[in-house]
Amino acid sequence: MNKNKNFLMFNLLKKDQRGTDKILSMYWFAILVIIAGGVFAMVYNFYGAPYDIRESESSLLANRIADCVSQNGKINPDFFSEGNFNSEIEKNILEECTLNFNVEKGYQNVPQYFFEIEFYKPEDLSAGVFSISEGNLNWKTDCLIKKENNKEYERTVKCTERRLYALDSGNNQYLIKILSGVGKSEKNVKN
Amino acid sequence: MYKKGNKKGEILTENIIFIILNLIFLSAVVLFLLRQGSSASVLEQTYAKEIAMIADSAKPIMIIKIDMEKGKKITEKNKLDFGEVVNVEGNVVSVKLDEGRGYEYAFFNDVDIEVYAERDDKNEYTGMYILTIN
Repeated sequence: MNKNKNFLMFNLLKKDQRGTDKILSMYWFAILVIIAGGVFAMVYNFYGAPYDIRESESSLLANRIADCVSQNGKINPDFFSEGNFNSEIEKNILEECTLNFNVEKGYQNVPQYFFEIEFYKPEDLSAGVFSISEGNLNWKTDCLIKKENNKEYERTVKCTERRLYALDSGNNQYLIKILSGVGKSEKNVKN
Repeated sequence: MYKKGNKKGEILTENIIFIILNLIFLSAVVLFLLRQGSSASVLEQTYAKEIAMIADSAKPIMIIKIDMEKGKKITEKNKLDFGEVVNVEGNVVSVKLDEGRGYEYAFFNDVDIEVYAERDDKNEYTGMYILTIN
């Protein structure tokens, strides 16, 4: 009798153990499915979001403007007329700096770029002596927003500021501040 | 003796199936990751933005070569002409690797860009694109 009982217990234990193994395997596959879902979601999210190149673009724009305004430390003579700053240059600043602010079809209703060039005398940095701007200047205030890791900040314009010193033809020194910005959030930020 | 041997075989088979399923799962995940990174839509965007940034920083009389080998493989798979993948109209670059709409991106540098796929001595595409800035 005892022998039979022992035999039954052994068989039950065995069966139980095998059952546990199968349940463990099922849990293991459930974990794999959860991991696969997580990997899929992360990859879809990563590749679904466009590459944001606006910071690089605004930096390139600022560099191009700096090259246009000053070469070898001398201010471009086209910025002057009869010893004073040439106010007419603003009208054709894009041609002067070989820039074209046209964009792809469907994004043309709002200008997607802007820049501002300000000239200061080193002895008085509080007020600029001359300034030129082009593009969507409504975005200038967005450049002052501090970086925050949220969706609203991601959608704002990306800006670059450059400062350089240059001389005019009379060897007068000027501080030149260049602020450039690129919008294009539809093409660079996930909706 | 016969029973004992059979049980051991069962355990081994279960383990082998379990390992094979795990390997299948891992390879599926790795394949998915690799395919996502080189899909046509991702590459179209990458190439268009890369070319736009190159155009923005380029100056006249520059000749620039771009490696588009991955794009060439996709066009071959989709039976498209690699020579018609990249187009520059005005200051907008468009890249099209499949039958879809492609991807467009504008650059701000006001230069004329001539773009064409490089060919070797046998008149076959090398997988490189050449940009001539004027």
